[in-house]
Amino acid sequence: MTAPSNPTEELGQLRRMRLVSIIEGCTLLILVFVAVPIKHLSGHAIATTIMGPVHGMAFLLYVWTLIETISGADFPRADVARMVVAAFIPFGAFLNERALRRRQALLASA
Amino acid sequence: MQVYLWLKAFHIAATTTWISGLVVAGLAVASRLACAGTQTAQDRSFLAAVRRWDRCVTLPAMLLAWALGIAMAMQAGWFSSPWLMIKLTIVGALSALNGVLSGTLRRLDRGADHTPAALLYAAPATILGIVMIAILVVTKPF
Repeated sequence: MTAPSNPTEELGQLRRMRLVSIIEGCTLLILVFVAVPIKHLSGHAIATTIMGPVHGMAFLLYVWTLIETISGADFPRADVARMVVAAFIPFGAFLNERALRRRQALLASA
Repeated sequence: MQVYLWLKAFHIAATTTWISGLVVAGLAVASRLACAGTQTAQDRSFLAAVRRWDRCVTLPAMLLAWALGIAMAMQAGWFSSPWLMIKLTIVGALSALNGVLSGTLRRLDRGADHTPAALLYAAPATILGIVMIAILVVTKPF
């Protein structure tokens, strides 16, 4: 990993990326484990009608922030490939969050 | 007034703001590429201003454009229309370009010189994208 010339800013970017990862993962959890069961058990589609677009927007923000994070730093190619693949698998955002936390800890201690 | 018209008005306002920010970011990156290696204090303050604008105005405008666009498409029942799928593909590409430009601006702000040469064409590509979107949205050819 190449140490960035301004680690404070890079740490801020990693914090933002981690926050967006958690938001994306949580909205998917609510959609799959709360809204969808409500729809199928009680017949009320309102929960999925709300949570579907909310998760869609969270996913878009997540992919956008991932592109921004990768473009602005020197990530190893393997890390980039793993993060991009994880972005498109369910709950992969949580995997990315853990990887970003490790990178953040590494940067902070550098 | 119909909800649809309000959505449309704010969608157009958000899109105009987003695309103008994208063109400015594209031009800023292209100008840095054109004179790589020489970064004056004026260049740095200009890049910092473009970055602030990108973070505080362009990104929220993009998210608003997406949200309002999706709401309009749901209201009008357009999600099965091929023209909308093509438009969404172009919008996705412009959003990705915005992400790459934002990251590149952050990299340039740190004083880095390594920038993908293809970003020289970011501003013209943005204009081409928005022209194609305008044609698709107005004519709805298929």
